Amino acid sequence: MKWKLIIVSMSCLLGTEALAQRPDAVIFPTPTQTRLAAADFTPRTSANPETQEALSVFNKVLFDDLKFSTLFVIPSKSFYPLKPLRTIQDVVFESWQVPTLDVDFLAFGTVQADATATVVEAYLYDVKTRQQVLGKRFTISDTPLIRRVAHEFADQIVYELSAGGSRGVARTQIVFASQRGDSKEIWVMDYDGFNARQLTFNGGISKFPEWSADNKRFAYTVKLPTVNRWVLRNHEIDGAESTIRTDGTYMSSPAFAPDGRIAFSARTSTSRDSDIFVTPPSASRFRNITNHRGVDTAPTWSPTGTQIAFISDRSGSPQVWVIDADGSNVRRIVNEGGHCDSPDWSPDGRFILYSWQAPKQWKHDVYLAEVATGRLYQLTSGRGSNESPHWSPDGRHISFQSTRTGKKQIFIMNADGKNLKQVSAYGINESPSWSKYPPE
Amino acid sequence: MKRRFLGVLIVLVCSLAIISGCKKKTQVTTRPPVDRPAPAETAPTAAPAPTLDLSATPTSIKRGASTMLKWSSTDADSIIIDSGVGNVGPEGSVSISPLESTTYTATASGAGGEIKASTRVTVVRGEDRGKISQTDVQALQQAIEEGKIRPVFFGYDSAELSAEARQILEENSRWFRQYQGATIAVEGHCDERGTEEYNLALGDRRAQAATTYLIQLGIGSDRLESISYGEEQPFDPGHNEAAWANNRRAQFVVE
Repeated sequence: MKWKLIIVSMSCLLGTEALAQRPDAVIFPTPTQTRLAAADFTPRTSANPETQEALSVFNKVLFDDLKFSTLFVIPSKSFYPLKPLRTIQDVVFESWQVPTLDVDFLAFGTVQADATATVVEAYLYDVKTRQQVLGKRFTISDTPLIRRVAHEFADQIVYELSAGGSRGVARTQIVFASQRGDSKEIWVMDYDGFNARQLTFNGGISKFPEWSADNKRFAYTVKLPTVNRWVLRNHEIDGAESTIRTDGTYMSSPAFAPDGRIAFSARTSTSRDSDIFVTPPSASRFRNITNHRGVDTAPTWSPTGTQIAFISDRSGSPQVWVIDADGSNVRRIVNEGGHCDSPDWSPDGRFILYSWQAPKQWKHDVYLAEVATGRLYQLTSGRGSNESPHWSPDGRHISFQSTRTGKKQIFIMNADGKNLKQVSAYGINESPSWSKYPPE
Repeated sequence: MKRRFLGVLIVLVCSLAIISGCKKKTQVTTRPPVDRPAPAETAPTAAPAPTLDLSATPTSIKRGASTMLKWSSTDADSIIIDSGVGNVGPEGSVSISPLESTTYTATASGAGGEIKASTRVTVVRGEDRGKISQTDVQALQQAIEEGKIRPVFFGYDSAELSAEARQILEENSRWFRQYQGATIAVEGHCDERGTEEYNLALGDRRAQAATTYLIQLGIGSDRLESISYGEEQPFDPGHNEAAWANNRRAQFVVE
């Protein structure tokens, strides 16, 4: 009897061990080995002020994008040969193979701006074979677009060198809810926080935006200033909107299946409290798939669209549950006590991200549950509350909201919790949803 | 492959140009580097003036019902509709349910100028709203201000009505019965410790618990509007147990 007790407590200890285990080996099982150098691009003909300005933006954006991709070991620029590279004739391959660098691939090129246009010529070479992998020319007539060209080239490098593992996230965007005046509205920005702009002008409270699988629209939850009712809105990328409403006053947390079906949380005249509903994309035929006493909210689809993970407090405190999309086979995935919220299923189906608040700890942190094993990994720690985690489309990064620097702001990091970066600063910003890949 | 890619870039550039209001013609191309000059830009031609059409079907609704606002345009880069509709595409429709008669004005702007179009939606009171009395509304507002109609409070993570909460609701219901000509919003609120999606649902349960009990006490369901605010509007902005207890509430608003 005593032995049994000891074994039980041992396994409890092992359980805690699993929680504390570092997640990088699980999320990135193949360590990064490709060594890449991104030499500073140089003026093609003359170093006029426009060219200098474009170069300083381009070089920083390209380097940051490649570094953030998690796919490369990028030696510090201080080890690079000093000779500026303009064309392939300038490259001395041996100087990139010295022990401090020893890179497999080298990116370089030129930027030239004048009054009417900016031209970028960008190359990627395989240092060992000395073969050209990429050769691109971009012509833009508006200098702010230089960021976009750098993102574009970064994504092409990632796509070429990751063997299909990622199409790159440099051109992806993040939608989020932002309060910068009396109302809370939906905004969008580049993944790195640049080009933030307001998309809705509803007044009142707009929250919980979520991209569709085809990246052509997002849906969000809104309460207009003079109406005592929450509804959902579909927001097309051209700005057109349509409303989804039930006969109840509570609706929340829309999520798109790969085929366009929408899952959401609502209370209707036929459900006594919040349940998970599913509707086809273009019809208002709501099907209640949970129909259970207590709160059911925050649905997220499995990548195949066959299952939905959601938050339910049917067992006491809110925990992560999974249900088949037809309403059968409901089961609990996370059962740790405390408070779980905002699950997000990974693009490869292996993990569910969520926020968790330990019992009597008044802060939240981002956790990862491995669906097959039930193992949990903690991704954030330290100051502030960390909530609303969301995957990048390549499953290598995570966006979330945090109060670690004061008010709620948007942060991004690698999926193993490293490389944290704050990407919003003005107002109060929350509920980030990372877009899918841009269309080819 | 390249052509599709080019198309995508152009779409991206166009949308950037529209959003930043940039009038400059922009162009992005990508092709392997060859030593030849970039193509010359063609001279701009005079742009046609935009056209815009805006209508609502039906133009008259009962309060609480909805109508379809429809618009179409040509030669417009951007269209904004006021009264909370916002930026919209070149053509489309949106279901709206204004609480009062409202004139919607759309503004289309393009390279060829700007044009406005308006349509008015008349809102008539439904039968259930016919009994609204300004005297009753003011009497109830005063009772709320004087603390005679009181909010009810909840335990952490709970939407259960305590004995004290039931007693407060019984007292409140006397006021609501005495002044029949007013609609009452029952607002559910939460403290900041929970998370946002859960709290919006929990606030709805709290508002529902109070609403259901008021209906049991004989208040007409058509007079009660239950609405959750989650943790959006804390009554007490503090970060301590006293503030949190104050924020776990269902409160009553008469408008």
